[in-house]
Amino acid sequence: MSYRLIIVAIATSLTVTTGYCQSRFTNVTDSAGIKHVFKVFEGMFGGGACVLDYNNDGYEDLYITGGMNDDVLYKNNGNGTFINVFEQAGLAITKKYVTQGVAGADVNRDGFVDLFITTITLRNEKKAIPREINLFLLNNGNGTFRDATSEYGLDSLYSFSTAGNFGDFNADGWPDLYVGNYFNEFYGKLSYINDNTLVGANQISKGYLLLNEKGKRFRNVYADYKLDYRGFGFGGVFTDFDNDGDQDLIVNHDFGYKRTPNMLLENHYPRSNFKDVAKTFGMDLKINSMGAAVGDFNNDGWMDYFITNIHSNWFMVNEGNGKGFVNKTKELGTDFFTISWGANFGDFDQDGDLDLFVANGDLNPNCVAMADYYFVNNGKSFEDKARQVGLNDYGIGRGSVMFDYDNDGDQDLLVVNQESVQPYPVPSVTHLYRNDSATGHWIKIALKGVQAESHGIGSKIEIEVGGKKMIREIDGGGSSHISQNSVIAHFGVGNISKIDKINVYWTGGNKQSLTNVDVNQSITITEIPRKGSNNGLIYIIIGICVVGAGVIFWRFSKGKK
Amino acid sequence: MIVNVINRKNLFQFLLVSGLFSSCKQEDTRIPEDFEVATAWADMTNYIAKTTPANTPTFSSRCFGYIGCTMYESVVNSSDEYQSVATELNGLGALPLPGQGVKYKWVLSLNAGQAEILRSIYIQTSDENKRRIDSLEQHFEKIFKDKDSKDSNDSKSIAYGRMIAQKIFEWSKTDGGHRAYLKNFDKTLLFENRPGCWKPPLYAQSFSHFPLHPHWGKNRTFIASDSMLSDPVFITYDTTPGSAYYNQFKAVYDKEKALTQKEKETAIWWGDDPDETFTPPGHSYYLATIAIRKTKPGIVKCAETYAKVGIAVADAFRNCWKWKFQFFSERPNTYIAEHIDNEWHSFWPDPPFPAFPSGHAIQASAAAVVLADLYGERFEFTDSAHSGRKRDELRNADFVVRHFNSFWEVAEETANSRFYGGIHTAQDNIAGLEKGKEIANNVNKLNWKKKTN
Repeated sequence: MSYRLIIVAIATSLTVTTGYCQSRFTNVTDSAGIKHVFKVFEGMFGGGACVLDYNNDGYEDLYITGGMNDDVLYKNNGNGTFINVFEQAGLAITKKYVTQGVAGADVNRDGFVDLFITTITLRNEKKAIPREINLFLLNNGNGTFRDATSEYGLDSLYSFSTAGNFGDFNADGWPDLYVGNYFNEFYGKLSYINDNTLVGANQISKGYLLLNEKGKRFRNVYADYKLDYRGFGFGGVFTDFDNDGDQDLIVNHDFGYKRTPNMLLENHYPRSNFKDVAKTFGMDLKINSMGAAVGDFNNDGWMDYFITNIHSNWFMVNEGNGKGFVNKTKELGTDFFTISWGANFGDFDQDGDLDLFVANGDLNPNCVAMADYYFVNNGKSFEDKARQVGLNDYGIGRGSVMFDYDNDGDQDLLVVNQESVQPYPVPSVTHLYRNDSATGHWIKIALKGVQAESHGIGSKIEIEVGGKKMIREIDGGGSSHISQNSVIAHFGVGNISKIDKINVYWTGGNKQSLTNVDVNQSITITEIPRKGSNNGLIYIIIGICVVGAGVIFWRFSKGKK
Repeated sequence: MIVNVINRKNLFQFLLVSGLFSSCKQEDTRIPEDFEVATAWADMTNYIAKTTPANTPTFSSRCFGYIGCTMYESVVNSSDEYQSVATELNGLGALPLPGQGVKYKWVLSLNAGQAEILRSIYIQTSDENKRRIDSLEQHFEKIFKDKDSKDSNDSKSIAYGRMIAQKIFEWSKTDGGHRAYLKNFDKTLLFENRPGCWKPPLYAQSFSHFPLHPHWGKNRTFIASDSMLSDPVFITYDTTPGSAYYNQFKAVYDKEKALTQKEKETAIWWGDDPDETFTPPGHSYYLATIAIRKTKPGIVKCAETYAKVGIAVADAFRNCWKWKFQFFSERPNTYIAEHIDNEWHSFWPDPPFPAFPSGHAIQASAAAVVLADLYGERFEFTDSAHSGRKRDELRNADFVVRHFNSFWEVAEETANSRFYGGIHTAQDNIAGLEKGKEIANNVNKLNWKKKTN
């Protein structure tokens, strides 16, 4: 895109936006007390945001990474404003590090959401090979956090980590983690660095698959789960692409066209392994994959994925029933040329289908301004209405998250922007947008897992309204770029006033339903535990099969003699 | 022939070169000829170039120069026909002569010199690669050394080769490229932002948004006169459709829209991505090996071939980088997206440095001219460098071996391949080919052979 065109585009957009009085998203950054910008460390990496209710007061708060700037923990005051409680919450430890992405989950199941923050190096120490540990901050339940990195066994994993995302791949209710690393990782500090170590430093890296051991520790089970690939990792997202009830994993890789393409790792639960089926299903994207928005945009019951990229994004439509994925970005009208990072499927206008927000931004230090997208789902395709609704910010966008910060029932947006290293035509700072446009009815559903993960991470919610079904997966992080959306599922239902049925598919296979639920309310569904564990049942079935096979083998052997 | 001085009792188990890196099972019981030892080391050189992380065409070109020179200087005194070119090289000075009265086994000198220079100049390579170098050195020592180790000529031959390598390595340290793999990208570099200038690529070969080795053009050349070549002529920037500048890019755009399968195969064959292959100058070094294996010359001509090709590609890259950063010109991905088609991108991803002139073209031209001077204008051969590589699924093309009737055909195809790849205009390639010839002529002009009266 030429600079001249961009300047014209910005001028036009300012004119049009000024004259368009019915903007449906209001930039409330200043009035809400948000004052944040991500500052890069040599290059274009970072940052992200995590939506969490860290103090369980019913208002969703925000943790936003700052890179070379301090991170922030914005406590939601419940009156439309936020206050940064970073220092008093005991998070100052993060100041030592160049932070990147963030995700949250109740790791020890004490009822409070803990934080996992990826880092790439130290802020005030120039290292020959920039690598650092990631930070695990345990929520004390009293408004403060403590550094539990070492206690949870994460203090020897030195990495250039972009994103961490929670899931529960062994369906035991304890949230596990996948961590994407960009440059190769080291176990322990490098005590000796020579030329060979230096030239080997910026090679592709393995990720970490961190199994949560009953809330006490994480253990890297990457190799145990038959994973040995390396790539320029931009994290991943746990998602059930094949509707078999367990959490599979999509892994984003930069430079997939010359190194490792994107991976689609099929979870073979209850066996302890993943298998890459990306090629079989058409998901081995050889692109600069930055992130993935997860959502069933066409309400066919299969999760679709919008993969952000440099140049054109990939809209991977799930054909269902093992038929794989097809990129329909052209047919769906989202094939614009830009550099995209965060992306979020949400029913922003509450008409019963998922719209799509996309955060765009150039690569520091040489940045050309490019606007964010807001694709409205018109049923058969999408139309970018970012300019009309006031979301066409030209800042250097990265992670983006959706949540309902003002508890009015619709989905608001926060977009993390980077500061430009070189002179830039517009201010580039993090923005909070209040959704003032939604007119349809809605329902928000929070999950409370008992056997399943305590906030329902990885579980699926399906609602049935007027013969139509809609599903949402609870995001444990990664359904964007190095960020995590609200764990509260949001559905728009248009003018329908009653939800016929709500089905919750808990990780681990438990299912429960509610019928005739009123719209325009927030509800919490608490899991009704099944008698006997799911694992037990599976092992019984396996046991029967093994015994059966043994008997057959024995008889067969006997017959031969 | 050097093998004549070897005691025939020293029969050995000779690993075929193709098996050296992978298997010890393929065996031969004859004594290798000199050209086989030389080419085994060239194969090792390319293997190290290919498998050393963070290698670049710039750094590797320089390595080929020093490694080739080492081979030549370690054996040149075996010949009555050839002479050292050390005093003609920029700042090297005369190298020590062999000892009087010593009956050198020159193949041992070559062997020791190659091992020493490879270990020194590729100090950043892996321990495993260093073991491979040691292993090859020991392999040939075992074959050619007196089995009772009683012959002091053997140890003197080895010491001489090593000493030549050490002298050349010391000389290399001051050229500006020593350990340059540690500063591939200068993150403090401020570069121009005028219309027509290079911009960091989006469809890129590298994650860096700084250009590779911006100061490489200030490095010392192997041959002093190579630093004084006139600048190539550059067509003036113009956005007007139909202008000469515009047409350069329009031709790239049109070609990409109409690429034939053969052109796609050509584009990927000559990609020679430093992350996956021995780099473009390594491909030229490989062509030298093809010529040697086909003609089986004596040890000094083998060494002369590698020295000439090495110097040619090194000075070609040094000058190319000087001009790349002097003109700091844009790639088709920048111009075409801005002025022809916003959605276009090239068939092959952009490398992280400016366009004019083409590095592929200049080094291929320089190598072709020196090889033609050595082996004749007409030279038929097959290039199998990438034979057996996995199909490029993204570009729907296979790695298909090439057949040529001359080295110049190679140079032209190499240059054209970048045009097919959409990352160079014709003027980048033409300038590269022209300047490559000038560099090669300077290489050929050195006094490689003693004057005969």
